Amino acid sequence: MSPASRPVLATERAALMLQLVPYLINKGDVAVEEAAADFDVSPQQMRGMVEKLTVIGRPGDSGYWQMANDLFDIDWDLLEQQDRISLTNAVGLEHAPRLTAREAAALLAGLQLAQSLPGVRDSGVIAGLLAKLARGASSAPADVIVAPEPVDDVRMTVDDALRKRVAVSFTYKAPDAPVTTRTVDPVKVHIADGQWYLQGWCHLRQAMRTFHLDRVSDLALTDIAITHGEEPVPALFDIDEGDIVARIRFREAVAGLLRGYLGRAQQIVGDGPVRDATLRVADPQSLKRLATGRGGDVEIIEPLQARDAAAEWARSALEQYPGQSTD
Amino acid sequence: MPADDVSVSSAERTAPEERLLNLVVALMATDQGLTKDTILGSVSGYREQMEAGASKDALEKMFERDKENLRGLGVPIETIGDRLEPDDLRQARYRVPTAEYALPDEITFTPAEVAVLNLAGSVWGEESLSAPARSGLRKIRSLGIAVDEPIIGYAPRISLHGTAFAPLQRAIEQARVATFPYLKPGEENPRTRTIRPLALVEYEARWHVYGIDVDAAAERTFLLSRIVGDVKITRTSFDQALRAGAGERALAGLEDLARRQSALLEVHPGTEASLRLQRRGTAEVQGIRVPFVDVHIFADELASYGPEVRVVDPPQLRDQVIRRLRAALAANGGAR
Repeated sequence: MSPASRPVLATERAALMLQLVPYLINKGDVAVEEAAADFDVSPQQMRGMVEKLTVIGRPGDSGYWQMANDLFDIDWDLLEQQDRISLTNAVGLEHAPRLTAREAAALLAGLQLAQSLPGVRDSGVIAGLLAKLARGASSAPADVIVAPEPVDDVRMTVDDALRKRVAVSFTYKAPDAPVTTRTVDPVKVHIADGQWYLQGWCHLRQAMRTFHLDRVSDLALTDIAITHGEEPVPALFDIDEGDIVARIRFREAVAGLLRGYLGRAQQIVGDGPVRDATLRVADPQSLKRLATGRGGDVEIIEPLQARDAAAEWARSALEQYPGQSTD
Repeated sequence: MPADDVSVSSAERTAPEERLLNLVVALMATDQGLTKDTILGSVSGYREQMEAGASKDALEKMFERDKENLRGLGVPIETIGDRLEPDDLRQARYRVPTAEYALPDEITFTPAEVAVLNLAGSVWGEESLSAPARSGLRKIRSLGIAVDEPIIGYAPRISLHGTAFAPLQRAIEQARVATFPYLKPGEENPRTRTIRPLALVEYEARWHVYGIDVDAAAERTFLLSRIVGDVKITRTSFDQALRAGAGERALAGLEDLARRQSALLEVHPGTEASLRLQRRGTAEVQGIRVPFVDVHIFADELASYGPEVRVVDPPQLRDQVIRRLRAALAANGGAR
């Protein structure tokens, strides 16, 4: 969401300005830049909203003419000289509006996910918040439920390490790779599509790495204080990009199911029901799971090595079912 | 908003958001309410247009649209009918009751709660619900609450995957019947489903819509990933009361399904399959037992593990896995 691209509609601008008055009253005096960031708009748009506010007011006693004190007003000198906003007269709208059903639903769903974090769950604030948000909405939010996922010892221990700011040690088994033993300074836990990923400084690789927590075992806290917590972390799926250029062919109808792969594709060619995508992989073995999981909807075109690996993967799996001929 | 244009010179026309805000200010400042005539003749934005000779009919239409837009923003506009002639809307008075407009005073948030809310509001990333989440947070923060240290170290995200979520959510809010083309695995063509949508549920990282299938006259749960075209919201509404407790019923239904359906699997130790499945299953004499809710989705996952897993039971799941493996073999030149 780039600040310059919103808001668009007059009703959206009106919605923002309804929030702007209580915000400004609460802040007292705020920089245009800061207010713009808080409202996801550009400084120019924020200035425009504030200026517009000063022509808004009560109808006026005569029903005709508005006196100056019937209108909102700001400290113009402060705005022009210091780029700061301060409301000097308010004629209503002092209260924060209730949440819309949509706003409440967005936060309620977020709370359900946040509840799976050990620290949040233990803080005991969730139940109260769920009730308050439901009461603070202008109409009943649509039920948007995020089913709770079990939190196991591995997740609890990682949480512990994040708080104590110490490294963890564990064994890691990535698919089609040998088991390794790692010591990692934990930096961030990503939760995406129900999967937990630990990002941190890997002492073995001397670099930031991402670990899928399902592939972690024998996890233990160490007494090594973390030393690389401030290093920038890569984007979550900036992983296993390699030197091998692979090309896969897929039915357009299943594109939605391949988003994890297509999201990092370099090129997607074709506009019919069948498309080709080009992507970089580190290991030709890494596409075989995609191929069998999508059962014929994905064909690996190149490299041949990856295509053969997929065929072999399917063939050896089928051998487990004797009597099911493979032709 | 081109629809707001009324034929008056641009010099006399105020921006629509100014008119909307003037209207809210005027309607909140009155206890007994304002009639439509008073509003059109005195609230800035209408008044100038009236003076410039805009037709009353056009201005009344504009007022109706403005009311609807404001209600869409959650501004409660109350209509007080004339006591003697309650059906005569010409004499109706309009007001915005502050108690229903404003976040209630008794709702307060502790600094710890605001810290958790900030995290909750961040889960939508680039999704369309990110804007309402941030907007809701702004309203809460403008109550002027101190915030605890932010909760660091976590980046939880919810993804909506596709376009079906937003219209379904709108249909639930408005309690209106929705239709969509739904493609079941193994079927050649999608079939149009007509439902009273009641709840959206993310279960095992997949979105489901739960509601009453109008044709089947029974509760049903649909996977959003199998909706293969536009969700249409019809004009037919249904009783809002049906929505009460729907989310819990939907979740209970999915959990019940997972309890009743399970697979017996043999997994090779130390493999990806064993790591990923172990946490979800329980050990048995011959392998592990793993619950599942959808045979096709589970078959996709199991097929991806290739020789790392063998399905012992149920036969339907085993057949689906074998079918995928054969198709993958054929597609990738296995016949050579």
